[in-house]
Amino acid sequence: MPINKPEITGFISKEKKYYMVFALLIILPIVAIFYSLFIGRYPLSFLDILKVLRFGINHQSNQDYPDIFNTIVLQIRLPRAILGAMVGGSLAISGAAFQGLFRNPLVSSGILGVSSGASFGAALAIILYGQNYMVYFFAFGFALLAVSMSFFIGRIYRSTPAIMLVLGGVVVSSIFSALVSFAKFIADPYEKLPSITFWLMGSIANARYRDIFISFVPIAVGITGLIAIRWQINVLSMGDKEARALGVNHILVKIITVLCATLATAGAVSVSGNIGWVGLIMPHIGRMLIGNDNRILIPASLSLGAVFMIFVDNLSRSLIGAEIPLGILTALIGGPFFIYLLKRTKGKGW
Amino acid sequence: MSLLELKKVCFSYNHRNILENINFQMNRGQIFCLIGPNGSGKTTLMDCIMGILPLKNGKIFLQNQDISQLSSKNIAQNIAYVPQIHKKTFPYTVEEIVLMGRTAYNNMFASPGLGDLFIARDAIKKVGIGHLKDRPYTELSGGEGQLVLIARALAQQTDLMIMDEPTTHLDFQNSLMVLEAIRHLVEENELSVLLATHHLNHAFYFENNGLDTVAAMLNHQKFAVFGRPGEVLSEAHIEKVFNIDCRIIDYHSKHSLKQKYIIPLKTIN
Repeated sequence: MPINKPEITGFISKEKKYYMVFALLIILPIVAIFYSLFIGRYPLSFLDILKVLRFGINHQSNQDYPDIFNTIVLQIRLPRAILGAMVGGSLAISGAAFQGLFRNPLVSSGILGVSSGASFGAALAIILYGQNYMVYFFAFGFALLAVSMSFFIGRIYRSTPAIMLVLGGVVVSSIFSALVSFAKFIADPYEKLPSITFWLMGSIANARYRDIFISFVPIAVGITGLIAIRWQINVLSMGDKEARALGVNHILVKIITVLCATLATAGAVSVSGNIGWVGLIMPHIGRMLIGNDNRILIPASLSLGAVFMIFVDNLSRSLIGAEIPLGILTALIGGPFFIYLLKRTKGKGW
Repeated sequence: MSLLELKKVCFSYNHRNILENINFQMNRGQIFCLIGPNGSGKTTLMDCIMGILPLKNGKIFLQNQDISQLSSKNIAQNIAYVPQIHKKTFPYTVEEIVLMGRTAYNNMFASPGLGDLFIARDAIKKVGIGHLKDRPYTELSGGEGQLVLIARALAQQTDLMIMDEPTTHLDFQNSLMVLEAIRHLVEENELSVLLATHHLNHAFYFENNGLDTVAAMLNHQKFAVFGRPGEVLSEAHIEKVFNIDCRIIDYHSKHSLKQKYIIPLKTIN
């Protein structure tokens, strides 16, 4: 059948492009992690890094280079880059999922109050226990609590219209922001307050493998879930009634999406602190590069978020003598970009 | 076997009756035009048929199966829906939109496969928008956008298609484009269409073109009249339901038999 021929070749070239994009999305974060091993105050040459990767990983003793190289590359820079990739990827993929769910391209991963909940949890833990592992658990726990509250406020009318969820998120965010202010107000101004303030600005400067292990499970579960359900998010962005008429169990899909995005975001912010803008901007760069189909956009956001966060973290440790908190950098880069975005989309989508 | 059967269907919302005792049957290859003033419950009736709203009383059977026993996935494999207002948010391509019609045939955690893509492309071709396949649907005209949604419904491969005022907001050319697409689908695919419309002439359009057409006028929660458009849409019935004075004229074109049209004249107080 001659008519079918261009159709089939058209599909294959599309498939090819699809796989090429996927390959690129997997390779980019790996390249970024590798590249970030070179960035830092301690100057290491390309050859040094290769030596460390060759011998240090296998714990082989080698007289060629001092042990400090191993520590810097494998114990400081590598976990930091891996954690950066996990945090950035989680924030971006959750942002993309929420944008589809709420049918609004201008929402981000923090829309249901996950970041403000985590902030309060962290502040509370710092006041009660000081800067230790409890901060993770409190941040994570309160992040989940905040989203559950938004969700139940959103269900007052027994359904889950997106606007009610968003309103719930706004209310819960402002409540937890007030609680954070209160925590700062009562915190010891010489010891605790600086820790809280620093946590709120976001950083992965002290990242160790321990942080990776702690956040791995929620992030992995969340990301896997979002990738699995990405087609349903496409259909859900048509609106509840149409999604239902197309055979989607819209309530179940919403619950899975909110749950997975929350797990991933909560896992990320509990180890990194508050880092804004990534969850808003990275999905948009994805939309500009590969379109709006969540089948590609969701994994693309994951990859772009990872690369962006590694890039920002590299800036954070190399721009000036001190470490610049990540939240400051993402906002400084994100703010102007957001304005550009509004100009480009002419404010549509609100 | 009837495709769709409603038996004593009642629906109420906040103790107010919206639908009372609606009975009808629909057969294969039939066009059912649901006509009625604003707020007469047309959309509610369609939502009940799609299983979105639970009935207060009565039963709806889809190919002899009680609709309240079917999952939304199951219903979506039997009834496709073309909405009246579609809020466009993300600029998906036409093909991506039509592919969504295949969702009911896939597992919740799966994306549509190659077979689904071919069905979607076939549907796009059938409604005559093959050239728009890769365009963002947010950039299309109203009529083209409606054809995309009809293609999506077609990709659902159902026997019944429900359309909620498919020609609202469309100009003459775009309306006719949509009507012709519906006509071709019914003629060539033995599809049945239930459509709500404010344009009474559309019921005549299908009847004039020789399709098996039924019209029902919904008024005060009930079917006021029900039957062939030629019988239902009389000057007397229209006056009673819509409170307007109108004339129905016959027009003889060169090629066809006599065709009927309604001319609305003035409101009656």
